[in-house]
Amino acid sequence: MIRFENVTKVYDQTARPALDDVSLEIDRGEFAFLVGASGSGKSTFLRLVLKEDRASSGAVYVAGQNVAKISSWRVPRLRRGIGVVFQDFRLLPQKSVFANVAFAMQVIGKSRSVIRDTVPEVLKTVGLEGKENRLPHELSGGEQQRVAIARAVVNRPGILLADEPTGNLDPTTSMGIMGVLDKINQNGTTVVMATHDDDIVNEMRKRVVELKNGIVIRDEARALYTSMIPVVGQSRRLRDASGRDEAQPPAPGEPNPDSGEEQR
Amino acid sequence: MRLAFILGEIGSGLRRNITMVVSVILVTFVSLTFVGAAGMLQLQINQMKGYWYDKVQVAIFLCSDGSTAAGCATGPVTPEQQDNLQTLLESPAVAQYVNDFQYESKDEAYKHFKDQFSNSPIVDSVTPDQLPSSFRINMKDPEKYQIISETFSSQPGVETVIDQRQLLERLFSAMNAASLVAVSIAGVMIVCAILLIATTIRLSAFSRRRETGIMRLVGASKIVIQLPFILEGVIAAVIGAALASGTLWAVAHFFLGEYLSKQYPDTAFISPGQTLILAPALLILGGSLAGISSLLTLRRYLKV
Ligand SMILES: Nc1ncnc2c1ncn2[C@@H]1O[C@H](COP(=O)(O)OP(=O)(O)OP(=O)(O)O)[C@@H](O)[C@H]1O
Ligand SMILES: [Mg+2]
Repeated sequence: MIRFENVTKVYDQTARPALDDVSLEIDRGEFAFLVGASGSGKSTFLRLVLKEDRASSGAVYVAGQNVAKISSWRVPRLRRGIGVVFQDFRLLPQKSVFANVAFAMQVIGKSRSVIRDTVPEVLKTVGLEGKENRLPHELSGGEQQRVAIARAVVNRPGILLADEPTGNLDPTTSMGIMGVLDKINQNGTTVVMATHDDDIVNEMRKRVVELKNGIVIRDEARALYTSMIPVVGQSRRLRDASGRDEAQPPAPGEPNPDSGEEQR
Repeated sequence: MRLAFILGEIGSGLRRNITMVVSVILVTFVSLTFVGAAGMLQLQINQMKGYWYDKVQVAIFLCSDGSTAAGCATGPVTPEQQDNLQTLLESPAVAQYVNDFQYESKDEAYKHFKDQFSNSPIVDSVTPDQLPSSFRINMKDPEKYQIISETFSSQPGVETVIDQRQLLERLFSAMNAASLVAVSIAGVMIVCAILLIATTIRLSAFSRRRETGIMRLVGASKIVIQLPFILEGVIAAVIGAALASGTLWAVAHFFLGEYLSKQYPDTAFISPGQTLILAPALLILGGSLAGISSLLTLRRYLKV
């Protein structure tokens, strides 16, 4: 569903690349976490999938299509196939819950009757039935994020990208949100979620892709937030090394020195 | 659905930006009024040309009491001199350029003068004696005035030869200059209007960046995202153009039609209906200026 082939993204010629020769495939229906320290390139990864930015080199495939080859007037169609959720919800404050979700359908020209049928159904999926007429400021953060998720999936995209969706929420609320995302994933949507939340990752036991300085240093199925096979000796070397050196051992099983075993 | 949605977006955009929208309306109104004024002057010139070029004549004024011209050395024109001039006018050399001619006596001249200046107190201070008698020549080709002038200027009994067309040309060139001034002012105002529209659209795009950001993410097409902004500018400009057209019509109706045409009854002023020819041009001009400047602004300030 999403395939990166030797993707490098350089924002600033003088700095290290935000993504450095990343190759990776996420299959249809998969649930994958993107973890890594701040600035490791998680958001950049998601932006490349959305064609918000162009890869400096390498190719990004979404649903079998090389996004670099999609002409600008067809980008909207690419984005209709991808739902996005952010840490800050990004709801329209003057619109009701229903209107916020309906907005995503209106702007792509869905008919009124389809909207009337679909929106309540989606609001039910995310657990917001009965709150259709509330305004965003009358909702808790967790509920606001549910509205944002409802909006992201109301057009039934094949992919849902979530950039730290639980970043502003307490652990219990976060778990509720994860339940919603899991349900959406069960319905066949591929979910890619960038997160710093180790409890959630450890609880969910899904695929974990770990980035460090733009390099994939771990890619494990049914994994924990930190590697299950800590390699203590390499941890110090990784921390001291420049980004380039880390490319040599891209083998799974590298620990994350920043948030890894030191925390325990 | 999409149409209703776009209309709703336009409505809310116009409401949110009402002060800027009003200023766009006013600036386009003023600038297009100047454009229209230039257009009206041109229409008026054409009208007067059509009306007068058939009527204007070359006039050969004959010597009268106070004349000082070389041909008047013998005092006021004598009947023999007048006959000679008439013979000359009928001779083949001159007649080939002349459609027809007539003699206007002092009394007739006084009568015409009175008609022409009926509203003016000057009529009371003029007597028939003060007005010269003349031959009024209707030319086949008004451009050939020079030939008549050369032939008659030096004839005894002739005070002067006047091409009325030249007097008109002077009037027309003054009107042309006025319309040029109007066009220049309009040019500056149009630049103002374009800049103001660009600023308005930029503000509008900025104040709605949240909506447009979401629209982009959920895959709304470029048209759906941009059209409300473009139409916002176009609607404001078209309202301004409509006001300008209305103003021009009012000027033609009240100022030309009811005031000036009473002051100058023998002048053919353009009718209010004729100014309506300008209205579609102004609407299209206003609308397309706004459309193009909003489009260019959005290209820079609204990512899609
Ligand atoms: N628009 C941009 N222009 C220049 N540099 C950028 C831009 N966006 C990101 N970067 C740089 O790219 C690197 C990766 O940023 P990115 O946002 O992908 O990190 P992240 O993993 O999402 O971090 P966080 O966990 O804090 O969200 C950082 O060094 C950042 O400074
Ligand atoms: Mg990020």
